[in-house]
This record gives sequence, C-alpha cells and structure tokens, in this order.
Amino acid sequence: MSEPLEATPHAFVRADREDGSVSFVVDESVYPLEAIYGATFTFLDRCFVFLGREGEGQVRVVLSAKKLPIADDELRGWVGELANELLACAWRGRILEQNRATIEAVTSQAIGGAMGPPSLDELEDFDFSEEPFEDPLGIAMSWEEKYGKKDKSQGGETEGT
Amino acid sequence: MKALRFAKDLYVGEQVDAAVKVYGRFGTLELAEDEDAWIVTVDAQTDARTRRLAGELANYALGLTIRQHRGEGAS
Repeated sequence: MSEPLEATPHAFVRADREDGSVSFVVDESVYPLEAIYGATFTFLDRCFVFLGREGEGQVRVVLSAKKLPIADDELRGWVGELANELLACAWRGRILEQNRATIEAVTSQAIGGAMGPPSLDELEDFDFSEEPFEDPLGIAMSWEEKYGKKDKSQGGETEGT
Repeated sequence: MKALRFAKDLYVGEQVDAAVKVYGRFGTLELAEDEDAWIVTVDAQTDARTRRLAGELANYALGLTIRQHRGEGAS
C-alpha cells in the first residue's frame, strides 16, 4: 500500500514499504523526458526502475529495492538523489541547447582543419584582395618594419644593438 | 504474477520485445498490447523471483530505450 514518505514532498512522493519501493511524480514541463531518462539511467545499477504515465505531461518514476527489506532512510536518499539528478540533467540539456550553434561551429572548424591544407584549386578561388583588418589610425606595422634589419644608408643601426 | 505496463510514449516497443526475449528463459512472460501501452505479464516459481524478474526486465527495457534515444543503438 502506498503512503507518504516522511521528509519528502507528499504531493509527489509515495512509498510502498511492503514492496520496498518509492515513486516520484515528475512534471515534464519542468523536467523534459530526456532529463528523466538521464536521471533514471544512473539508478539502474542500484534499484529496479520503472516509468509510467501518471497523467497528461506527468511521469511516475518508481524505484524498487533489489533486495528487501529496505529502510525508509534509503528510500528518502533515492528521492533526494533523483531530484538532484533530474535538475542536473535538465540544466545540462538547456546549456547544450543554448550553445548548440557554438559547439557546431567549433566542431566544424576542427574537422575543417583536420582535412589538411587547401588544394591549388581552392587557393585559386581564394580572395586575397580583402584587407586583413581595418587600421583607421594607421598605427599597424608589419613584422619586417618593426624587427627586420634596417638599411645602413638610413642610419646604419641594426635591430638588437 | 505481476503485470508491467510499458507506456508507448516512454518505452520503445522493439526494446521491450528485446528485453522479453532476453529474460523469457527465467520465467513465463506474456506480451499484450492496448492503445497506450505494451503489457508484459511476468510469472516465476516464487513471488520473490517474479518480483526480481519483473524488475530486471524493466531495467533492461529502460536501459535499451535510453540508449536508443541517445543514438547509441542497441545490441
């Protein structure tokens, strides 16, 4: 018979002591199904996990002990860990979604770089006429101008002396 | 005897079938289907074995379903 579990939110958590199980109702609008999968996957080695439909947009996660009997403290621990894991998985999913464009750009650049140097045909099509960067104040100086050997007729000094 | 209802929008049917094939030799498993779920009836020699068989079957089906959702395939 399922009954509330002390020190857990009674609206969401029920325990069946005879069966050694605890169930947790998860709202899919808060924790997407991918987060529920990710969180429950981490419990497969410790307990029996079963997912069921509770209502529209709600999933009931049932965690049952592999060995009976089981103490209430352990059931409470599972509930807490599941809640933490759900939050972590949902947050990771959101970050992944927000950074998807960046991750794809970095990955494609890495793959492009690994493809090796461009061919002659690709170089022929490359537009070298474009200025490398803007220098409105005219302060940019090339490496040769700054560090190269100076002409003796213009002063006779060389770099580093 | 214990009946497990695998909701169709939470479990992949092929993976429930695969789990039934793997654990079928440990007891009597019967498959049925309704509009929303695949229903597996589990029976073994004792209540404790039935409970364990149902639990292992559910874990296996869920594990395979999650792997498929992650695009890892199932083997």
